[in-house]
Amino acid sequence: MFKKILIANRGEIARRVITTCREMGIAVVSVYSDVDEKAIHVLEADEAVCLGDAEPAQSYLNMDKIIQAAKETGAEAIHPGYGFLAENADFAARCEQEGIKFIGPSSQVIKDLGDKITARQIMTKGGVPVIPGMTESNPDPDFIAQEAEKIGYPVLIKASAGGGGKGIRIVESAETIKESCQAASREAMTAFGDGTIYLEKFFDTAKHIEFQILADQHGKTIHLMERECSIQRRHQKIIEESPSGALDDDLRAKMGEAAVAAAKASGYQNAGTVEFLLDKDKNFYFLEVNTRLQVEHPVTEMITGVDLVRQQLEIAAGNPLALNQEDIQIRGHAIECRVYAEDPENGFFPSPGVIEFMREPKGPGIRNDCGVYSGFEVPVNYDPILSKLIVHAENREASTLRMIKALKDYIILGIKTPISFLIEVLQSEPYTSGEVYTDFIETHFTDWKPKLDELALARIAYIVDDLAGGKKNSNFASAESKEISPFQTLGNWRL
Amino acid sequence: MEYRLKIGEDTVPVEFETKDENGINLSMEENEYDINYSRISDNQIHLSVNGQRVNAYVAKTEQGKTIFINGVSYLVQDADDLERKRSKRKGGQDMPTEITPATPSVVIAIPVEIGQAVKKGQVVIILSAMKMEISLNSPYDGTITAINAAEGDNVSPGVMLVEIEEAPKENDPKES
Repeated sequence: MFKKILIANRGEIARRVITTCREMGIAVVSVYSDVDEKAIHVLEADEAVCLGDAEPAQSYLNMDKIIQAAKETGAEAIHPGYGFLAENADFAARCEQEGIKFIGPSSQVIKDLGDKITARQIMTKGGVPVIPGMTESNPDPDFIAQEAEKIGYPVLIKASAGGGGKGIRIVESAETIKESCQAASREAMTAFGDGTIYLEKFFDTAKHIEFQILADQHGKTIHLMERECSIQRRHQKIIEESPSGALDDDLRAKMGEAAVAAAKASGYQNAGTVEFLLDKDKNFYFLEVNTRLQVEHPVTEMITGVDLVRQQLEIAAGNPLALNQEDIQIRGHAIECRVYAEDPENGFFPSPGVIEFMREPKGPGIRNDCGVYSGFEVPVNYDPILSKLIVHAENREASTLRMIKALKDYIILGIKTPISFLIEVLQSEPYTSGEVYTDFIETHFTDWKPKLDELALARIAYIVDDLAGGKKNSNFASAESKEISPFQTLGNWRL
Repeated sequence: MEYRLKIGEDTVPVEFETKDENGINLSMEENEYDINYSRISDNQIHLSVNGQRVNAYVAKTEQGKTIFINGVSYLVQDADDLERKRSKRKGGQDMPTEITPATPSVVIAIPVEIGQAVKKGQVVIILSAMKMEISLNSPYDGTITAINAAEGDNVSPGVMLVEIEEAPKENDPKES
């Protein structure tokens, strides 16, 4: 096993990786930018290397600086987390050349699966069902229009490179297909430097179901069941759960087999996620493979009891998978809510700034993967995720109630968060009945405003806050506020 | 004592008198409240309101106080304070005529220069906050008189990034 690794990331995911490394006795090198000097992944690392300017290209995306930091500190491997360089084939190739183990699949696999058309070809060959559409690119709008007629409208024009909702157009009818092709290609060219586009059938009421896989370096591949991630805003997931109510044992087994086949077809190693679309008639289609640890991996950890980061490290170190497919059982139900620094009343507009005060929820079956603390200034330069709140209970109803209670106990003051929005989503009829599709937010929560039913109490609290004065009882009360001090985490001790 | 407290668009007068060291009797919108309280920390107070026990979390912000009760956060403002501030600003212009970011951001581009004439709605600065791009537009036809930021700068709400002098209105553009 590695003695020391470098984590090329920040925030909650860097901290998540640190936690498992600590348990395994692996030393951790964190890297950080100027604005992250007091970030939690720096405070908790064994060694920390400053990369420089906050601008991602100068810090967390700067391959030269990160490789240099790994060499200087003697880190044997690099964990990329998610985002930043996690799915960058060039970075994985650089690590391979420099003799540093990249904790993930090989650079060739990242490259193949990162190109959507290549991935579709690999899956078709491997017998994995793909969404009806083109398996080769053809820039001719007339050809694309013909293909669209064949598969039937509505259709989706997609960029072969990149992701994040860029270079995507939904086309309802033949009238607009040609101009949509041009617009999507232009957008893809600007965003990814590659204007290649292709066509897929569009499903408006579909579910987003993904399977977690683990593949070791000795040819063994297993899956760790599914996650349902249908609730999204701006093509970004905000609530995820496992298991999905849409699958029965039979369908779960079939999709699991397809996920394993997809991993094998691409020569996959390490932890990965195979995404599928599930239509109303329960047909499933391959969407893409995410060649990294997913943001929502904790729901899988909760229901299977497997530490995915530990598995990643074992696989990267060359150890064979100790788990067999039949070891993987679903226990209960888990939900994750992503807590971003954003304003749900205002189109989820970013809300960076200083966290005046925060108190994390606690209790049985509650886990908060958190990258911030009271007094921390959330920088403007990076993804606005603050933490992921995860709950685990015996069934979906119980875990929904547990999540609502945990969200009500989650206090973050100073910046805006979607906590009250998440509570209302979880309380809504379409959510509790499982009628959850990828258009959930647009359909049920457009122009959402919070239900302000305790106006009188809020006004009373305003006045009492003036009257009660400040800083009373501050000895015991400030335990979680403002500054992190070693004395807060110190247990019993004597001289 | 009396307060006028505003939440959203609604301003409500609240009257109260001290009952004892940690208690008040309060009336608001024809309801009477018997309140006991204790401060738990700088940001937390514990209340008993007509017997109902409540934990409220409070943070002071520039606009007022953010109050978090039971999973919902409320921005509560002192209406008298707001009026005092508004009269200080004189004229009480409500139009968003200031080119300032709504949230801390990084300057991506400034597509205008000093002395340049701009049209109402024209983009004068492009910002980025947490991977989202935001552009700010000129509120009126006018001329750029100052640019107080450069590309790559971190900027905060309240800072006037670009100053624009409004062009004199032509009362009768089509004089015969």
